[in-house]
Amino acid sequence: MMRLLKLARKHTAEIAVAGLLSVTLPIAPAQAEDISAKSWDDIVVEARGGTVNWFMWGGADNINQYVSSWIGDELAVRYDITLNRVGINDTAEAVNIVLGEKQAGVDTGGAVDMIWINGGNFRTMKQGGLVFCGYVDKLPNNVLINWKDQSIANDFGLAVDGCEVPWNRAQFAFAYDESRTPNPPKSIAALIDWVKTNPGEFTYPAATDFNGSVFIRHVFYHAAGGPDQLLGDFDKTVFNAVAPKAWKILNDMKPHLWREGSTYPTSITNLQQLFSNQEVALYFNYDPAIFGINVEKGVFPTSTRSYGLEDGTIGNTNYVAIPYNSPNKAAAMVTANLLASFKAQYEKAKPDVWGAAPAIDVAKLPAGQQGQFEALPRNISVVSPQELAKKALPELHPDWIKAIEKGWQENVAE
Amino acid sequence: MSGQGTFENRKGLSGIAWLSLALLITWLILPLLPLALWSVSRSWYFPDILPSDYGLQAWTYVFSDTAGVLKALLQTTIIALGTTVLAALIGVPAGRALGLYQFKGKAFFEILILAPIIVPGIAVVLGIHVVFLKTGLANNLAGVMIVHLIPALPYMVLVMAGVFANYNPLAEGQARSLGANPAQVFWYVTLPAILPGLLMGCFFTFLVSWSQYILTLVIGGGRVVTLPLLLFNFASAGRNDITGAIGILYVLPGIIVLLLAARHLSGRTAAGSLRQI
Amino acid sequence: MPDRWRIALLLAPAVLVIAGLFMGGLVLGFARSLNYMPLIGLNDVNLEAYVAILSSSGFYRSLLLSTYISFISTAISCVLAVGAALILRRTFIGKPIVNFLFQVNLTVPHLVGAIGILYLFSQSGFFARLAYEFDLIARPADFPAMVFDPLAIGIILQYVWKEVPFIGIILLANMQTFSKDYEAAARSLGAGRWQSFRFVLLPLILPGLLSASMIVFAFTFGAYEIPALLGQNFPSALPVLAYDKFTDVDLAARPEAMALAMIITAASALMVYGYVRLARRHVRS
Repeated sequence: MMRLLKLARKHTAEIAVAGLLSVTLPIAPAQAEDISAKSWDDIVVEARGGTVNWFMWGGADNINQYVSSWIGDELAVRYDITLNRVGINDTAEAVNIVLGEKQAGVDTGGAVDMIWINGGNFRTMKQGGLVFCGYVDKLPNNVLINWKDQSIANDFGLAVDGCEVPWNRAQFAFAYDESRTPNPPKSIAALIDWVKTNPGEFTYPAATDFNGSVFIRHVFYHAAGGPDQLLGDFDKTVFNAVAPKAWKILNDMKPHLWREGSTYPTSITNLQQLFSNQEVALYFNYDPAIFGINVEKGVFPTSTRSYGLEDGTIGNTNYVAIPYNSPNKAAAMVTANLLASFKAQYEKAKPDVWGAAPAIDVAKLPAGQQGQFEALPRNISVVSPQELAKKALPELHPDWIKAIEKGWQENVAE
Repeated sequence: MSGQGTFENRKGLSGIAWLSLALLITWLILPLLPLALWSVSRSWYFPDILPSDYGLQAWTYVFSDTAGVLKALLQTTIIALGTTVLAALIGVPAGRALGLYQFKGKAFFEILILAPIIVPGIAVVLGIHVVFLKTGLANNLAGVMIVHLIPALPYMVLVMAGVFANYNPLAEGQARSLGANPAQVFWYVTLPAILPGLLMGCFFTFLVSWSQYILTLVIGGGRVVTLPLLLFNFASAGRNDITGAIGILYVLPGIIVLLLAARHLSGRTAAGSLRQI
Repeated sequence: MPDRWRIALLLAPAVLVIAGLFMGGLVLGFARSLNYMPLIGLNDVNLEAYVAILSSSGFYRSLLLSTYISFISTAISCVLAVGAALILRRTFIGKPIVNFLFQVNLTVPHLVGAIGILYLFSQSGFFARLAYEFDLIARPADFPAMVFDPLAIGIILQYVWKEVPFIGIILLANMQTFSKDYEAAARSLGAGRWQSFRFVLLPLILPGLLSASMIVFAFTFGAYEIPALLGQNFPSALPVLAYDKFTDVDLAARPEAMALAMIITAASALMVYGYVRLARRHVRS
């Protein structure tokens, strides 16, 4: 008992100090000069000793490891920057923090320095004036980015406009266990028939999940006979013509799904659990590299294989963005530049690290570095990105996506 | 009237009672077992009852620098200790007022101070978030400590009120009449008398802060990561091995404290402190 | 006579904290639910949030679900806790171990218990694998759904697991307070075991049981992390619905989150009121 008392007394001072420090620390000095007017060398100097609070989806510990260890070490050693990776369940949480801060009038000294982001979340930030722009052409590694590629210059149909730096390419793919499911369905049409003969073996996350939403969009494309009439701004007439067909398909599938479609996994990580527990036979993800990583970690069986759909799958670029009220913009910019470097992109392309497809244009690299990319081994469980890219479908404007997600909730889920 | 041989003091239990007891014990331990087993498994697929491959990769990850688990453990501990200290400083006087004195409006104050036990934290924290943001108390340890007071303080007051209800202030009067100043009276007379109850109150307060989730999630804003937040993330991500390891790490301190204080914490003491409820 | 100023001084810090943080949070939440928060420039009061909530079927289903979960959890926990307390107040071999386990349970946070329940009762969990071992099921889908299910079985199991020791310990305290003389007297006057329990012991422990069950009901009604982890996504429990609306990037959802928080508070306030009334009636002994 006396021991406990001594312990409490000993920590009082520490708590008081911690309390004082933690109250005073967040009030960082406001950046007086406009950072966009500085030269890159000045920015690097200003970034020294800084911290970057990078909010990113934390559901994959191989990505967490790559970011915290490899990127973190590079930043510390080369630039004297401390990287604080903040893992979140949903990118919207980080956007929400910045939004709340803006509403509360916290325009400097925000909690977030960088977000791994794309699509609707980026749109919220850009249109809400929440994102810092105009710095991308300062980054030395910007020359490696092919801004002429429409799928890079546009984030889900919205012009990037110097507000984001590309980090990864992703393209949706399916995964299955070839020892349990030797003949998986290779198209949406085949899937519709397959669930009838294999009841309870398939489900998809609810539309609120990024990956669940894109699966539903694949069905939408199928119902529309292809993405062409859906591209461009949201068109209510087209939507009202196509949507009922899509809902009919999903509602017809419903009674044959896992739990007879009475509930859907909340997130892609729930679906991953169901797949590795053998409760469902099919898995999918925007990032097929995760299949290989999971096999390495023992989460998936070694007989896992993956494929793209015959009609093509949706692919996109994902980026990093800096909030308008970040107190560490210089350090964040240096970090973004590092992420787009050959070394960082090559490291993350290694199949045992992540196996992620580079967002930089490999053709713009010197020949030796190009060769290194080509020589990378591929995990047998991961379908090759080149093969997937042959049938890449574009993303839709966020308004379409919002309408589809809402429509699913109202017409299929309830 | 009461003594040996009456039904309560008969040694041993009936068959049904033994069975119920065995079920109870199993039931109490059961949910903790899969966590422990998952933490040392490398692959454990359906329908295996036991893991097909064991490995310590989960524990290696937990103790690694980049995982942030140890940092979360430290932050959770600091926050809980801070909340406990604050609760003690505020709750002991309040408990004295409620336990020792009768006064008009006492019932009102009792309800006011105990209300946070009934009203869920989520109802309160959504409203107060903006204030914390504007006063710079969001996204840091101090703010989380303060917001944890909301559910924690009532327990401290409850326990201390019970302690003071059985406390005789006569000794204080005597010490004062012998020339002791108020600080000495508190230190040499009051404190030793209320210490067992105070430690009990600290224990409950620590536990309340230790298990907080939604309050830390909202006020911490992702920058303050405590063990329950990490645990939730990994549990919903399906990394059962890491979840198991973090889960074990999360419950160990409470169990260790219990073991250490086992001599002083009989069922009576814990029960007695909660008697006021 | 006790110095009134001294009492006020002793109470002041606690009252300030509770009034400031707790009541302040509620008042601000209420104001925000009416879209009134001059701090951030919202000045026109309206009832849009409440209209939106009260006209959505999703809200009523969530309300029903939360009430159902709380009621069933509290009822089962009370019954089992009384049984456990009756056994544990006796003397028997191994009693210190059981006492210790009860106390360990108090220190284990709800979240850990919920994860344990998940690993035990999911369709690919421990009991499902046992069922497979005994040829009762052929695939995970054949095992009854107890997590992410409409009856919220897993959630209720988790609450029962945690609350039986909590209520049990309170009951044990109350039982120890009261003299066993009452029961012995009743027995010596010819009362049977059930009668002795029903007419002597039960009324004595009822106040403690009632107040404990109020706390349990309120807690299970307002808890977030357990239904977030173990529950279906539609309908979700009320606190999950509130938090989802709070973190929606569509700012219009935020007053709705506050409105939901207010409704949760109102339901809990009813609990407090109910307890105060019942306590007044029963405790004056």
